[in-house]
Amino acid sequence: MFEPIKENWRVLLLVVVVLGATVALFAPQFAPETAPGESAENATQGITNLQYGLDLAGGTRIRAPLLGYTATGVDFAGETPTQVASDVAAELEGVSTREVDAVRDDEGTGSDGAGAVEVTDTSVSESEFRAAMDASGYAYDTIRSGVTQETRDAAVEVIQGKINEAGLSGGSVQQVQSITGEYFILVEVPGQGRQDVIDLLEERGTVEIAIAYPDADASDGTARTDGILAQDDFENIGTASRREAGSGAYVPVSVVNEAPEGQRSPAVQFQDAVVEYGVASASGGARCNYDLETNSLGESSDSCLLLVVDGEVVNAFGMDDGLARSMASGGWADSGNFRLTTTSFADAQTISINLRAGALPAELDISGQGTSSTISATQGENFRLYSAIAGVFAVFAVAGVVFLRYREPKVALPMIVTALAEVYALLGFAALVGYPLELAVIAGFIAVVGTGVDDLVIIADEVMSEGEVNSRTVFDSRFRRAFWVIGAAAATTIVAMSPLMVLSLGDLSGFAIFTILGVLIGVLITRPAYGDILRRLLTVR
Amino acid sequence: MTAIEVPEVDYTEYSNRQLVLVPLAVLALAVLVIGGWYAVTGAPATLGLEFTGGVELRVADDAGGDVEERIETAFDREPDSIRSIPADDVYVVTFRAAADDPEGLASDLESQADAAGLSVEAIDQVSPSFASDTARTTIFGLALAFLGMSVLVFALFRTFVPSIAVVASAFSDLVIPVAAMNLLGIEMTLGIVAALLMIIGYSVDSDILLNNSVLRRTGEFYESVSRAMRTGVTMTVTSIAAMLVMAIVATVFGVGLLRDIGIILAIGLCADLMNTYLLNVALLRWYKFEGVKR
Repeated sequence: MFEPIKENWRVLLLVVVVLGATVALFAPQFAPETAPGESAENATQGITNLQYGLDLAGGTRIRAPLLGYTATGVDFAGETPTQVASDVAAELEGVSTREVDAVRDDEGTGSDGAGAVEVTDTSVSESEFRAAMDASGYAYDTIRSGVTQETRDAAVEVIQGKINEAGLSGGSVQQVQSITGEYFILVEVPGQGRQDVIDLLEERGTVEIAIAYPDADASDGTARTDGILAQDDFENIGTASRREAGSGAYVPVSVVNEAPEGQRSPAVQFQDAVVEYGVASASGGARCNYDLETNSLGESSDSCLLLVVDGEVVNAFGMDDGLARSMASGGWADSGNFRLTTTSFADAQTISINLRAGALPAELDISGQGTSSTISATQGENFRLYSAIAGVFAVFAVAGVVFLRYREPKVALPMIVTALAEVYALLGFAALVGYPLELAVIAGFIAVVGTGVDDLVIIADEVMSEGEVNSRTVFDSRFRRAFWVIGAAAATTIVAMSPLMVLSLGDLSGFAIFTILGVLIGVLITRPAYGDILRRLLTVR
Repeated sequence: MTAIEVPEVDYTEYSNRQLVLVPLAVLALAVLVIGGWYAVTGAPATLGLEFTGGVELRVADDAGGDVEERIETAFDREPDSIRSIPADDVYVVTFRAAADDPEGLASDLESQADAAGLSVEAIDQVSPSFASDTARTTIFGLALAFLGMSVLVFALFRTFVPSIAVVASAFSDLVIPVAAMNLLGIEMTLGIVAALLMIIGYSVDSDILLNNSVLRRTGEFYESVSRAMRTGVTMTVTSIAAMLVMAIVATVFGVGLLRDIGIILAIGLCADLMNTYLLNVALLRWYKFEGVKR
C-alpha cells in the first residue's frame, strides 16, 4: 500500500503544501496578533489572515534623518561625559547643555576610553561645531552629520512609545541605513494621514518632579507637593547609561543653576524643597517605597521624589546618602547635576524617555531630507482590487497562450493549476509570517506565475520531444535533462534579485523576497510535482 | 484545428555576419540614444520622482466638474505634470523638488488642495538628497545583479564564447528597454528598476536553454537550435502576453508600479527574442563550426 505514496510523493508534497497554505490563510489560530485594546475583527482585514501594507490598506510612511552633528573618537581626557558635554556647549553661542550630549564608547568598560560628542541644536552648523570642538580642547577623529547610536535608539523608543500610547495598531518604527551609511528613522502608521502622524511625532507632554511625604492626617498617610521641578528647569536630560563599575544604570540629569539677580535658581529651589520635605537631611537620603498602583507611600517609607508625566506618577526615587548630604549642606546647587539610578538599563531608558515627555532627543527632519508617503484607506482598498484584477488578467493571458500553443488540455491545464498553486503557497506563507502584502509583492506574484509557467513549458517540451513517452525510464531521463535548465534559470533569477532584498530601495525588497521564494517553491515543490502529473497523463494510457 | 507553431527559421540561408548585424545595430542605436540623453539632460533616462525628489499628489474630485482647471489654479506653484487616471476619477499631480525651498512643501500643497475642495487621496514626498541616494543605490544594485549573473553563467558553461554570448545578449536586453523608455517618454521609477532586474533573470532563461541544447546535448546544430527555439519562444511569448495584459489593466486603473513593470518587461522580452535567436545563435554557430577548431 506504500507503493502509490512512494511513486507520487512529489504530487503529495504539493497537496500538503497547498493544504498548509489554506490553514495559514483561513485558520483563526494564524490570525494577525491584535494590538492592545483592539478586537480580533479589527486586526483581521477581510476573510483571510493576509495583512496588507500601507499602499494596499492606507496609511502613512515617513522616513527622515535625525538632525545633528557627531564628533567621533573624542578623547575625554579623564572627564565625565556630563563635564565634556557642558564644556563643548560652553563654546557654542546660545546652545544649552541640553542640546549637547557626550557618550562613552563601550559604556561600562572603564573610564579612560574614547567617546562621541553630538550637538542636536539645528542652528549649529558643521563648521561651528568643529570650531567649538577645537576650542574645547578635546581631541577627536572626525565630525560627521547625524547623531549617535544612543540618540537614535532613544528616538526610536520615544516614537514607539507614542505609537503604542495612541493605540495605533500595526504602527512601527525602525532605523534604516542607506548605502552611503546615513541613518534614517522609518515610521509606518497604517490608517493615519500624513499630518496626523507628523502631529503625533511633534507632540510633547508635560513632565514635572513632585515630592510625596508622610502625613499622619491623610487617610493613606501620604501628602504631595507638586511643581518642585518643571520641564524648563532641566538643563540637560541625558540618555540612559550603564554604570562604570558594578551593575545598574542611570540617567544623568542637570538642573538649571543660574537665575536672574535676586531670584533663586531652580537648582536652589529644588535643593531647599528636598531638604524641607525630608528627602535629604544631614544624616543621609530618604529610602523610598512608593506604591504606583495606589499612589501612596508604602509601610515605613521616607519621602519620595516623584516623576510625573502628563499628571501621572510614572517613577519614584529615594536619594543616595552622599547626594543628600551635599543637598543638606547647600553645596549641591552649584553644579545642579544628579543621577537617577536604576537596577536595569531598560528602566533607565524608560525614565530617560519619561523625562523627555515625548520630545525627541533630536529633530526629525521630515520636510527637508525626509521622504513621506500617504495613501488614503479608500485608495488603498481600490489598489487592492485593481492589482488583483491585473493579476487575474495576467494569469488568463498566460493560460490563453499556453492553450493556443499546446491545444492539449492534458498538458496545459495542469500547467496553469500548478502555477496557481505556487502563488497560493506564497500567499499562505505571507499569512503565516504576517508579511504585509504591498503592490510590490503582488508584482512579485505575477513574476512568479511568469517564471513558473516558463519552467513548466521547458518540462513539457522536453518530455514530449523525440516521440512517444512509453516508459518511466525515458520520462525520468528527459525530466532530469529539463531540470538542469530550470535549476540554472532559477539560480540566475535568485542571483539577480538578491541585491534588491538587502538594499533599501523602497518597497522593492518585498518584491525580491517573494520572487525568490516563489522560484524556490517552484524548483523544490511545484515543478517536480508537475513532472509527476505529466508522467501519469502521458505514460498511463 | 491546429495549434500555433513556433515558426522554423532556416538559419543556413544567412551568414553569421548577417545574423549579428540587426541586433548589433539596434544595440548601437540604443546606446546612442542613452548617450545622447546623458549628454543633453545629464542622466541616462528621464528620471521619475523617486530619483529627482519632489511631491506627488493623488487628487480626487469631490464636488464635480472642471477638476483639471481647479488643479491648475489651486496651487501657488505650477505643477510639473497632471495625469488623469480614467477608471478612478483621480488625478496625479507632480511637483518637482525646488532646490531653493524644500521646506514644508508637502504640507503646503496638502492644505492648498484642501482649500480648493480637492480631496487628497495620497501624498508622496521625496527629498532631493534621498533621491540622489536612491539613484546611487539603484546603479549599485543593477551592477551587482549583472555581475552576479555573469559569474554564474560562466560557472555554468565554463567556456568563453557561449558564456559571453549570454552575457552580451543580457546586456543588450537591459539597454534596449532603457532607450525605448526615453523615446516613449516613460520615467525611470523604482518599478522600472525592479523590471530591469527581472529582465536579467528572465532573459537569461532562454539563452541558457539554447546553450544547453546546443552544447550539452547530442544532435546536429540546427536541430538543437530549432528544438530550443520551440520551447524558448513559447516561454518568452507567454511572458510577454502576461506583461502586456498587466500593463494595460494597470494603466487603466492607475497602478503605476505594475504598469511600469509590465511595459518594461514586455519591451525587454521582445529585445530578448531578437538577441537570443540572432546574436546568440550566430555566436554559438561560429563557436561550434569555427571557434572550436582554433
